[in-house]
Amino acid sequence: MEDTAERIVDKAIALGCQDAVADVAVNRSYQIRFAQNQIVISNRWRETTASVFLVYKKRVVASDIKDMTKIDAQVENLVKIAKASQENPDYAGIAKGPFKYDRLSVDKKIIDLMDGHDHVQAAINAALEEGAKECAGSFWKYDEEHFLRTSNGARGVDRRASLYLSIRALVSLESSGHGVACATKASQFDPEKAGHKAGKIAALAKNPVGGEAGKFDIVFDPLIFGSLIDQVGGRAGAWTVMAGLSPYAKKLGKKVASDEVTIIDDGSADSIGRKRFDAEGVRTKRHAIVQKGILKTYLHNTSTAKKFKTKTTGNAGLISPDAHALFCKPGTWTRDEIFEECKDGLWLTNTWYTRYQSYVTGDFSTIPRDGIFRIKNGEVVGTWKDIRLTDNLINVWKSVEGLSKNVDQVQWWGEVYVPTFAPYALARDVGITRSAE
Amino acid sequence: MVGPAFPRPTRGMDMADLDLVDFAVDYARQKGATYAEARFEHQTNEDFILKNSVLDALYFGEDSGIGVRVLANGGLGFAATNSMTKGDVKAIVDDAVKIAKAAHRKDPISFAPEQPVVANWSVPQVKKLSDVPVEEKIEEIVHIDRELKDLKFKIPARYFQQSNKQIDKYFVNSEGSKIRSFSPRVRLFYFLTVAHNGNVEQTYQNYGWSGGWEAVNELQMRRRVIDEAKSMDNSLAHGKKSPEGKMDLVAGPQVSGIAAHESCGHPTEADRILGREAAQAGKSFITPASIGQRVGSPVVNVCDDPTIEHGIAFYAYDDEGVKARRRYLYKDGIINEFLQNRETAAILGTRSNGSARATAYNVEAIVRMANTFVEPKDWGLEEMISGVKFGVYMKSFMEWNIDDKRFNGKYVGREAYLIENGQVTTPVRKTVIELTTPTFWGAVDAVGKDLEIFHAGFCGKSDPGQALDAALGGASMRLRNVYLR
Repeated sequence: MEDTAERIVDKAIALGCQDAVADVAVNRSYQIRFAQNQIVISNRWRETTASVFLVYKKRVVASDIKDMTKIDAQVENLVKIAKASQENPDYAGIAKGPFKYDRLSVDKKIIDLMDGHDHVQAAINAALEEGAKECAGSFWKYDEEHFLRTSNGARGVDRRASLYLSIRALVSLESSGHGVACATKASQFDPEKAGHKAGKIAALAKNPVGGEAGKFDIVFDPLIFGSLIDQVGGRAGAWTVMAGLSPYAKKLGKKVASDEVTIIDDGSADSIGRKRFDAEGVRTKRHAIVQKGILKTYLHNTSTAKKFKTKTTGNAGLISPDAHALFCKPGTWTRDEIFEECKDGLWLTNTWYTRYQSYVTGDFSTIPRDGIFRIKNGEVVGTWKDIRLTDNLINVWKSVEGLSKNVDQVQWWGEVYVPTFAPYALARDVGITRSAE
Repeated sequence: MVGPAFPRPTRGMDMADLDLVDFAVDYARQKGATYAEARFEHQTNEDFILKNSVLDALYFGEDSGIGVRVLANGGLGFAATNSMTKGDVKAIVDDAVKIAKAAHRKDPISFAPEQPVVANWSVPQVKKLSDVPVEEKIEEIVHIDRELKDLKFKIPARYFQQSNKQIDKYFVNSEGSKIRSFSPRVRLFYFLTVAHNGNVEQTYQNYGWSGGWEAVNELQMRRRVIDEAKSMDNSLAHGKKSPEGKMDLVAGPQVSGIAAHESCGHPTEADRILGREAAQAGKSFITPASIGQRVGSPVVNVCDDPTIEHGIAFYAYDDEGVKARRRYLYKDGIINEFLQNRETAAILGTRSNGSARATAYNVEAIVRMANTFVEPKDWGLEEMISGVKFGVYMKSFMEWNIDDKRFNGKYVGREAYLIENGQVTTPVRKTVIELTTPTFWGAVDAVGKDLEIFHAGFCGKSDPGQALDAALGGASMRLRNVYLR
């Protein structure tokens, strides 16, 4: 596959392109989906995709090539399309290699894993033990190998393998809990823990009553806090800022969260989002997006970095920069202390459907799902349903008062796109609304 | 909109590929599958991305490969490859059969019966997408951007994505079905930020069409974008705070469409009702026993119809080879029918109504909406407004969301106006509808005749996620005495 990547780049340059990148990815992933405590389908993929980026006289074309038998013809076609396209005056080239990458290895036990049924069963059994009646979710073995070449001297190989399980446990339609397990080492993969967590929350969430609107102190569980961290990472991309899709425009160096908050993007650290290089071949690094509440940087590729008069952060995607893996720096509180400091509030365990009225101002709402608990003096005193968190992204982050010492790695369908390390968090006076009568 | 039979071979599919699809099904049966299907797809995708007058990039992808789904020992297995060699196709069939057999289910999965179908269908193009030069496609969004810049107010961020997709499919199953299809689709997505005296208003819209490049005229893309920008400036310059309290609401086609999709289409998906999506897109307040229960007023009919001409989700047969037809999900305000595929239909003791779709060759077909809308009746828009003493006319929305059981929905106005004594008066900003599904649909007392169904969403569901073309729209509706803020 290294040859294929090289051939694509060489062909594009021979046809007159100034820059070319080819990332050939071999996907051998495997998945089991389950519902009603049983497997509903298993999926397996054997795919090879060449992601291609080429530039002819500042005319930028990107593509995914699937038919490996017609590579020359496809590159010729892409160059033809580029010639008919328009110049992008903001295009500033790709990073100059070669680059040295960290030596990273994958767990052979994950590569060799051919059957995930035991993991699925362990998660379901754990949730049922806690009192759940119905479990659904998915188990993933991710196995991808990337072969990258660029016309600017970058060349790299990256094997990425991890295990993931997501389980939702239900006692009834309105009494549910969610747990996830993420690992890059088979020995650290704990689907049972995810099942226990989902089952416990579901059992505790029995017989919820309709919630009330108002301002509440909120204890955020790592899964929902991961969703808020994901919003920070997603909105901090320089391309996103330029498109008007971020509340962080013109806020570099300004306060966007409380002093407790430091959020780092780090594709080089151990996580299920770990990558040796970005789409330009730049070695991934650790960058604080928010440090002690101050917005420190946007996430850049070479072109956006030039626009903002800075250097690439190694976050290039095929077209726009993206976060690789997000780390919220742990706080100094224990989980119990977080709850004890919540005198009159709510504990939210998960959310979905985060949407903005204005990306520029950060006005948004999101719908808590799974266990929603009323907290008084640190204790669960009741269970709610049917509420919505309606507030402003920057206000919520500025209201964060405490973070737990321990963090969980989370990723979840639809809400936590980027693998994220999230603590428990306590935030003050967060807006809650509900459906009108 | 079913076109003439295809010649063989067609674009993107050669004879060898098609023979491998037939081979995959036969081989799966030999390996012990009680049912097998194979779907070969070749999709070309073009995306022109214009941000603040700069053509950032042009994406051109050709996605092709084969997915095989089998039933074996009561389990379901799916495997896919983009390598169209006999060896690789054999390998994925082996994979699919093996993982299906390994499921060890207590109750075996089965499919509701269907007659085999041999058919070709295609969507006609007045102006073929493949005949339109790249330069002309780029010029379309550049032209809109230029017109926006000529407006005499600030539009600091302008982002357009014009997308063209051409999908060739060949579906074969072990019951004798063989279906070929060709579906071209056109989309315009735009995101605008308008500023006025330090305040901003934002919008995004997505319009879609099944057909050729005639879409740009049929959808009146230029007019729509310019009109919306002007309405945003008007709202910023003259908009008042939206009133709070119980009042009447007239919802335009875009608002009725999002409500139809979110609070009718999704909760009537049978796989969701049966818990298959519980960990992802969620469940439903509707249960199998809910058929016949009232959820809206007697004037409410909400349909899902893949056969709507030029709706972005047009199809003649679904991805299980079942003929498409209109589904009345809510009829006369009553829960009438669920969206079914063959698996859910077997569980619920009914027949599939042709709702199975997949976004690409490499994912299973699941229960999906197509073109979902509030069925028009006979009221004129002016007539509905004239009957409102005090209320709000909401033409479009920005923020929206709904809980995972599809019971608590929220839609926040983007373009909205006060109605006073039967007249539309001043713009109002950020009107919030936050109501339960029965409260919303139960308040409808009039439905317009102004069907519009070219708002095109990407409907998200399943794992791996499948963001699928779905049209949403409908007629304007009047809701009486609902709480707004």
